[in-house]
Amino acid sequence: MIGSLLRIWAIALNTFREAARIRVLYGIVVLVIGANVLALVLGEMSIREQTRVAQDIGLAGISLFGSLTAIFLGVFLLYSEVQRRTIHSIVSKPIERWEFVVGKYAGMALVLSVLVALFGVAMLAMLLLQGGGITPAILRALVLAWIEVLTVAAIAIFFSSFSSPFLSGIFALAMWVIGRVTPDIEAAARSAEGWIHWTAKVTLEIVPDIHLFSPSGRVVDGTAVSVHASFVTWSYVGIASLHGLGWICGLLAVACILFHRRDFS
Amino acid sequence: MEPAIDVRDLRKTFRTPFRRRKVEALRGVTFTVERGQIFGFVGPNGAGKTTTIRTLMGLIRPSGGTATILGHEIPSRAAREKLGFLPESPYFYDYLTVGELLDLAGRLFGVPHAVRAKRADELIERVGLGRARTQSLKKFSKGMLQRAGLAQALMNDPELVVLDEPMSGLDPIGRKEIRDLIVELRDQGKTVFFSSHILTDVEAIADHVAIIARGSLQATGKPAELLGKTVLGIDVTLRVSADQDLGELTAGASRIRRAAEETSLTLPADTDVDAWLSRAREAGAKLISVTPRHETLEEMFLREIANADRSSEATEGRI
Repeated sequence: MIGSLLRIWAIALNTFREAARIRVLYGIVVLVIGANVLALVLGEMSIREQTRVAQDIGLAGISLFGSLTAIFLGVFLLYSEVQRRTIHSIVSKPIERWEFVVGKYAGMALVLSVLVALFGVAMLAMLLLQGGGITPAILRALVLAWIEVLTVAAIAIFFSSFSSPFLSGIFALAMWVIGRVTPDIEAAARSAEGWIHWTAKVTLEIVPDIHLFSPSGRVVDGTAVSVHASFVTWSYVGIASLHGLGWICGLLAVACILFHRRDFS
Repeated sequence: MEPAIDVRDLRKTFRTPFRRRKVEALRGVTFTVERGQIFGFVGPNGAGKTTTIRTLMGLIRPSGGTATILGHEIPSRAAREKLGFLPESPYFYDYLTVGELLDLAGRLFGVPHAVRAKRADELIERVGLGRARTQSLKKFSKGMLQRAGLAQALMNDPELVVLDEPMSGLDPIGRKEIRDLIVELRDQGKTVFFSSHILTDVEAIADHVAIIARGSLQATGKPAELLGKTVLGIDVTLRVSADQDLGELTAGASRIRRAAEETSLTLPADTDVDAWLSRAREAGAKLISVTPRHETLEEMFLREIANADRSSEATEGRI
């Protein structure tokens, strides 16, 4: 068990090292910080909603750029190892293939966690600059955004275990977008009949409910739902995180099985 | 004690991507590598050398047959703990330095932290990369990458070292250094299994040779046994003036080369050498050397490959 963890850590560390050398990531960090500055400007243009605008744009930036980064990194993660044949000198060592897949995911999760932390710090700094406070609601929203990004990363690595980066990118992007509009799909499943009803039902089963991680903009029992409001409690965050964790484990398990069966010729 | 490698009727069939046509890469390969040997695995491009090695290393799954490494059936983690592998044209994470590469290899082999750094330092010096220690692998030449690959294959102080084309792309000095290292490993009691198509290298160091062509093993044995003692001809070098007609001395001879005052030729194996030399002296020639010519590994290799081609054509003809 300890041996497995050490090998997974070795791969994770190496993956982190590799990602840290990808210059695009630094560009994304600059973009997100830029989005926060933009939020500051837009907030000033609004009437008494400065903090709200900064929060919304900040969180949307984390969700959007974090998820896109997860897809970008994830779709290349396993594919490039096979294409560049770096995998040959790794899996010929006493490491199981599932340990390799989990290690690659752990390394990517580490990179994404650092990015989300940076984005979060930038957003909180902007909020403090505007004179707003750091509330538990904001922290809960940040945790949800972080779990969303990690779930999207698992989707990307799942497709990367058997498909090319281009196709994996399209599939992962589609799954992320569909996952964010699950309330609409649920509505379609309820109201429509025939093939639309069944397609919506099947889609809800095979796509993670990513909307759980950013539930703002909905109306539940006549109340507008917002991650900033009291509707999202820590227990909600816990349940949503368990949902994300379940999907991460499931997707990684299938990715490990698919990767285990592959020939590296 | 179990052999280092034992391969029985190993088969691998690939399917082409679109037409799904079957391609038999290995057609029942059987051989044994005893411990403490240098085993040369030779064959032309596409013969099945790399497929055999990748199957043994657990990179691809066999379609049939069995193989054991150090007594463990493949694919086995227990076997991989005791072996070191250098892939063909090795690709490593090019953002790492050689020290970081060896650290990663050491971690995967479970080498304790205290031993890892010391062993990495020793290996870097041993493969002659001491000066390139701080450079990333991106800046390494092919020869330097090959040396880095050898070092990472030795990080676990393996019992068995498997090298796929270790001399490929190296200059003569680099090739000699790798040959010396392979012999040194054998002298330390390790088993070395290496593939190559540079036959002079194989002939120079291998204790045992296997020739593979078209996915089938054509011959296996000690080089001396395979090549035999039969004299194929007699190589003679003479000094004669450039304008002198050698006349009947060259009758039946082959590979006649004249350069300035030196003439070399190969006489048939059944030539009465004493009588021929007397006639040469009478003709005014001075003898420089006489050497019986045995079959080289290269000649045997070409013969076996030609046999494999003929047998394959005959099989296809019957089908």
